Amino acid sequence: MNWHAIDLSILGPALVAGILVLSTHVPMGREVLKRGIIFVDLAVAQLAGLGVIVASTLGWEIHGYAAQAAAFGAAIAGAVLLTWVERNLQSVQEAIIGVMFVLAATASMLLLANNPRGGDELKDLLVGQILWVDMGSLVPAIVLSVLVLIAWFFMRDRIQRVGFYLLFSLSVTVSVQLVGVYLVFSSLIIPALPTRNMGGKGLWAAYAVGLAGYVLGMVLSALMDLPTGPMIVWAMACVALVVGFWRGKAAQV
Amino acid sequence: MKKSLLLTCFLVAAPGLADAEMSVFACEPEWASLATELGGNLLQVESATTGVQDPHYIQARPSLISRVRRADLVICTGADLEAGWLPLLLRQGNNAKVQAGQPGFFAASDYVNMLEKPQVLDRAQGDIHPFGNPHIQTDPRNIGLVAEALNQRLQSLDPANVATYEARYQDFQARWSQAIDGWSARLEPLKGAKLVVYHRSWVYLFTWASLVDVGALEPKPGVPPSSSYLSELLARLKDQQVLGIIQSSYQPTRPAEWLSERTGLPILILPHTVGSVSGVTDLFSMFEVLVSELEAAAAGSAK
Repeated sequence: MNWHAIDLSILGPALVAGILVLSTHVPMGREVLKRGIIFVDLAVAQLAGLGVIVASTLGWEIHGYAAQAAAFGAAIAGAVLLTWVERNLQSVQEAIIGVMFVLAATASMLLLANNPRGGDELKDLLVGQILWVDMGSLVPAIVLSVLVLIAWFFMRDRIQRVGFYLLFSLSVTVSVQLVGVYLVFSSLIIPALPTRNMGGKGLWAAYAVGLAGYVLGMVLSALMDLPTGPMIVWAMACVALVVGFWRGKAAQV
Repeated sequence: MKKSLLLTCFLVAAPGLADAEMSVFACEPEWASLATELGGNLLQVESATTGVQDPHYIQARPSLISRVRRADLVICTGADLEAGWLPLLLRQGNNAKVQAGQPGFFAASDYVNMLEKPQVLDRAQGDIHPFGNPHIQTDPRNIGLVAEALNQRLQSLDPANVATYEARYQDFQARWSQAIDGWSARLEPLKGAKLVVYHRSWVYLFTWASLVDVGALEPKPGVPPSSSYLSELLARLKDQQVLGIIQSSYQPTRPAEWLSERTGLPILILPHTVGSVSGVTDLFSMFEVLVSELEAAAAGSAK
């Protein structure tokens, strides 16, 4: 066991990043699950990445605000498109989301065909590793998460469908850069699964599942010397499984 | 795996032992191995990557940060080989002693003559390293140069043990230069031999042994081959006497297999570092295996 690695100054920033991601993704995940658009986050993350790659192909500076603007721009365009799809093509919505994902992913490959490692660098820009998070990079994410949460919980009636996709795209674009696409997908879907049909209490139960997953995953990754992101995904899935099993039992009695 | 877990338990459970030693964090196994040759049990050496990993990329683990935090010396190749992760790791490790430019940070590529330094930096040329090709460890003479510099660094960081370091260094350098003479003599008949490479990571080996690179499976560094490129390569190899296709254990084997099927050339998985193929446990066995593989390929093609 590697007790040295359980150190709040090592795991602290990662934990804060995890809590931030959970704060917006848990309520959104419940909505995503309800609407049956599970892979929408992968499509949005891919679109944000495509935005950065297009910007760099045009010769823009890829570090800093220009890249972020391009990522948000592409994600917002995706949000608008998704709103339109939900309104007009609802029966094949999930299929179209899947097609959007592969189109965005392969468009990046075509644009980067002759620029390989440069391309990996660009992709790295959009797929963070949770342990590399530092407090400085968390500040903009904190501000955005607070704004998104206010809009989500207090202006929900007014924002409607476009609002949902807009908030969702903004959150995913930020969180993918902090913790990577696997953790974003997990934070969105896994806590929502065993806590569906729980009504009002479900939100808090989902938060608890997510947080337990992050804490357990980080501790296990430190003790077992394994990569942190994948470990959190598995820990969260195990917590969700236990909660789901226990709820199933309770329902039978 | 289980063994290494147990070993880790043991090492961590005995922190009193570790206090007397200098803690060395190596980015790649070849430098971990070299540090162990020079420092023996004065150093507690750990490597961030294993021989079967691509040192360009690693997954972040908490233990890597905590090791950097406790390290007295960080030894890496430098020259941007670890550009994707080392700066992040040093920042998160937050250890002033081992930041770039400090005595606790040692970049091996500072002490050798870098090959393939580009005249013009252009991303269109693929994965070009602005400081030259960083795969310096495949020329054994480079290992000797790095050993010399590392010996001085160890002595200045740990003055109490200067005599031990010096003795170990002299012993290593004597054995190493003798070994180089042996390897050079064995590779003498292979001078001018033509080889296909997967990635242009063997330029230092080729320079040392006077081998000729007749083509790479990657059209540009880091770009996977397209079908038109492969058929062009195939046409180019047709009328040449080529010894084989060489690559590292971490690179994909399918392109080499494709070429091997069509040309009958053998694929040589050469050890690019310690631990990359079985039987390679230190720097000596790394070059021993490397030279033997090349000799065997030459014997096979002579038949």
